[in-house]
Amino acid sequence: MRLRAAIAVVCLIGIAIAAYLTYVHYAHVAPVCTSGGCEKVQHSKYAELSGIPVALLGLIGYAVLFGATLLRGLYAAFGAAVVALAGLAFSGYLLWAQLGPIGAICIWCVGNDITMLVVATLCVVRLLREQ
Amino acid sequence: MQRNRLVLLAVAAAIAVVVVVVAVVVLGTGGGSSTPTTTGAIIDSSGSGGTEAQSIFKGIPQHGDTLGKATASAVLTVYEDPQCLFCRQWDVDTLPTVVANYVRTGRIQLQYHGIPIIGENSIAGLRAIYAAGIQSKLWNMTVALYERQGEENSGWITIPVLKDAAVEVGAKPAKLITDADSKQVTAELKASFNDAKAAKVGGTPTFVLQKTLGVPQVLNVTGLEPDQFTPTLDAALQQ
Repeated sequence: MRLRAAIAVVCLIGIAIAAYLTYVHYAHVAPVCTSGGCEKVQHSKYAELSGIPVALLGLIGYAVLFGATLLRGLYAAFGAAVVALAGLAFSGYLLWAQLGPIGAICIWCVGNDITMLVVATLCVVRLLREQ
Repeated sequence: MQRNRLVLLAVAAAIAVVVVVVAVVVLGTGGGSSTPTTTGAIIDSSGSGGTEAQSIFKGIPQHGDTLGKATASAVLTVYEDPQCLFCRQWDVDTLPTVVANYVRTGRIQLQYHGIPIIGENSIAGLRAIYAAGIQSKLWNMTVALYERQGEENSGWITIPVLKDAAVEVGAKPAKLITDADSKQVTAELKASFNDAKAAKVGGTPTFVLQKTLGVPQVLNVTGLEPDQFTPTLDAALQQ
């Protein structure tokens, strides 16, 4: 129960970050940025996957993970682990894109990467422990 | 029991990796249509509309060499050369901020004035940029060329590069190449050169701000990054 609550709390942080970046994308406004590279990243082709903003995909992913914390059982734990690990792998790919082809770092994306790392770790622990 | 869980975890990880690989390769942000450039950037050359160059300008009125609403209270004229490294720095790093915070909000209108400071090859790029203006894609083309920028006077501005950039920004490449040699483009280039001469522009990039009923004012920027450029612009707008 505590583990699921912890996952839910971290998911809410992820939802907040992803929701802000989704808003920035659709409102065509500049994100608040301390790293100086947020807009370059947001306007890069890596910001969309088949026309869908990756921020929106992240928002959906966190919402699914949050929903999974409301369910008990092995199936929910397994599903959450798959989504979280996929999110972590995709975050890793986007971090590579920032460090490599784009050549700029978006602090919001890094925040999301850390959040996703924590969520994925907790989801893996949940899968190993779930009754 | 624990072993079964580890197997489940391995299956979950495998599914996750497959999903991400399929998403990246098949749906493709960084899929097979990318072309490495001399600057190391990666540009979508798939013809799907060049998201990077286009998304910055999406929904903003663009006519000839201007970007933004004609009702804006100030016009910021940008003097550039497509071969100029510092111009590239400003366009790639700072133009998105200027467009988002000043142009999209209707505070300023941008005007492009191209001048060949670096060399002969710049003229080919400028002709293509002004030709893109005929298709209301001048600013998109400017950024697309900076993304492809090579060594100064290495002859990197070629017809294939121009066509590739035209495709990326959603312009008709054949028409753009034809228009590049038109009398209209020649006249626009001459007007731009004369304007630069009158404004005593000695280098690129140069930024001149003119508020409604105001006198043109050269911005003495301390740097070309957003946090260096925008305070100078703000100060000039408030004067």
